[in-house]
Amino acid sequence: MSTTRRFDPILLLAAPAVAYLTVVYGLPLLFLLGRSLLGTGGFSAFAGFFADPFSWIVLGNTVRSAALVTLVCLVIGYPTALVLARAGGFVQAAILVAIILPLSVGVVVKAFAWQIVLRRDGVVSQIFTGLGIWDEPQRLLFTETGLVIGAANIFVPFMILPIYSVLKLVDPRLGEAAATLGASPVYRFFKVAIPLSLPGIITGIAFVFSMAASMYVIPSLVIGDRFQTLATLTGRSFLFMRNEQLGSTTAVVLLALTIGIVVASSRLSRRLGGAA
Amino acid sequence: MNPAFLDITGASRSFGAATVLDGVDLAVGKGEFISLLGPSGCGKTTLLRIVAGLMTPDTGRVVLDTHEITRKPPHRRDIGVVFQNYALFPHLSVAENVAFGLKARGAARETIALTVARYLGLVQMTAFADRSIKALSGGQQQRVAVARALAVGPKLMLLDEPFSALDRKLREAMQIDLKRILREVGTTAIFVTHDQDEALTMSDRIAVMYRGRIEQLDTPTQIYHRPATPFALDFVGLSSRLAGTVVASHERMLTIETAAGRLCAPGQFIPGSPVVIGIRPERVTVGAGGENSIEATLIDIVFQGARVQLHFEAPAGGRLLVEAHEAPSGAAPGASLPLSWRQADTLVYPAPAEGGAA
Ligand SMILES: Nc1ncnc2c1ncn2[C@@H]1O[C@H](COP(=O)(O)OP(=O)(O)OP(=O)(O)O)[C@@H](O)[C@H]1O
Ligand SMILES: [Mg+2]
Repeated sequence: MSTTRRFDPILLLAAPAVAYLTVVYGLPLLFLLGRSLLGTGGFSAFAGFFADPFSWIVLGNTVRSAALVTLVCLVIGYPTALVLARAGGFVQAAILVAIILPLSVGVVVKAFAWQIVLRRDGVVSQIFTGLGIWDEPQRLLFTETGLVIGAANIFVPFMILPIYSVLKLVDPRLGEAAATLGASPVYRFFKVAIPLSLPGIITGIAFVFSMAASMYVIPSLVIGDRFQTLATLTGRSFLFMRNEQLGSTTAVVLLALTIGIVVASSRLSRRLGGAA
Repeated sequence: MNPAFLDITGASRSFGAATVLDGVDLAVGKGEFISLLGPSGCGKTTLLRIVAGLMTPDTGRVVLDTHEITRKPPHRRDIGVVFQNYALFPHLSVAENVAFGLKARGAARETIALTVARYLGLVQMTAFADRSIKALSGGQQQRVAVARALAVGPKLMLLDEPFSALDRKLREAMQIDLKRILREVGTTAIFVTHDQDEALTMSDRIAVMYRGRIEQLDTPTQIYHRPATPFALDFVGLSSRLAGTVVASHERMLTIETAAGRLCAPGQFIPGSPVVIGIRPERVTVGAGGENSIEATLIDIVFQGARVQLHFEAPAGGRLLVEAHEAPSGAAPGASLPLSWRQADTLVYPAPAEGGAA
């Protein structure tokens, strides 16, 4: 590492973004933090929050559902990214359109669509009962399974795209070289493809986890009030309970959670990138 | 002759309408070092990929060590490949790259450590064992790629222009190193190159490839002195050509009428056949009295260090190249000089068909 620190004029290019984010994001965030601390006496709001067993349920709901959504996205998204990176021409264009086009449909619309799909008389239930996998029609709507399925659908592009962009740059000869050295397809997958795409996987996980941990519209529409996450609780505190201190406390906890994930993953991917 | 160690028969492959390999036959003996020499795009890499199992031929068979492997997947073939761009694993260190194949085959930990140490020593990279691949020069990467391929003890090594990215000096050093290493290990090898000097200095035999076919498979000496086709004559070494017509054929000795005069050459053609005569420049001497002799006009003298190249114009437009140790005294461009050479050094080929390229 170089010990001389000189100002790099290139950094000035980030100035507009920094200014914009400071005004519209940084300052409100500071107010929020201040609100959670000021109220009835410093850190007591946080102490109170963590002393309440209900908070732990909410925290658990948030982390568990976000982790499940991330896992589903990874399992579905990785193979898709692999195909996308290896495909060419029409297949590649078709997959990319299928991934990117749905992003133009609002999340509220998608959540409503999932309400219909997951109903007791919805498509999923009809297929499973029709196939004899389920004995009788079941309702996935208003269940955590339904939430995970719906949210994974909405967030999966954010898993596929970063993995794809890394895989695309991996020399296909590396896989061939591994094959000529006697590595089976499975060994090649775990020892060559996965390690080389790890930076993409980590970025995808960070994207999806932080979005899934803070989703508000989807749980509100797909599962309702009985399942509270940090995001829905924040919304309720401000909108219905008029409890600004609780709202800002949960918002700060959520923020800390997602910042933790993003920082940890960028550290990890930088370390792996350095080793690679 | 005992059956070849690697036996390729009738291998063909097309991409769409383009036939890239057109019925290649190639038999390689155990321990042999064969070069595939040919211009860019003639199908050398395609042939290697078929042998390695990274591509299947449309027709034809590949037999290695008496087993047919035409459709066997690459990881069960025991064939090492050094890729043109080396294809080293960027996420692994030098030693881990060399260990990769052994680990994939589930070798014991001590075996891996010993083998890696041995092959890193062989390619003189021991000091770099823990380096990242990115921190290596081209020549060092090339050594690691060779060590990685050899470490699993392959039956056959395929090397696809491994030296093309190196400067000339390093390339020559690596050529000697590679020959030494392969001799020590005793591996059969096919080496792809489009550098004729590389092929001539390194190979036991050379396969000259052109447009998806093997034009000639022979020792370097034979390839150079007895090229089987006009293409082989052109592609390997320098040569001059004269067009002529066979006027008499007697006991395998031809008399050929050219614009520069009558020449004699060993060969078998029916009188009346149009032919092309080829001569290597170092076989021609300035002066009268050889078995074949013509008058030509000196047009240029090119000094090349150890040798000089003399460019002559033969009557009726043919160009003749002569390589000598020094320019004939007093010769200046414009002078008309006698040139002569032996009949045995006169190569005769059928003239190319109208409109066809040689
Ligand atoms: N996957 C492919 N699809 C279509 N055409 C291909 C493919 N691979 C090779 N070719 C074509 O086949 C021909 C021979 O290619 P090949 O790579 O075997 O040549 P080469 O002799 O190795 O040439 P070079 O010396 O430039 O490496 C080329 O014209 C190339 O464009
Ligand atoms: Mg090639």
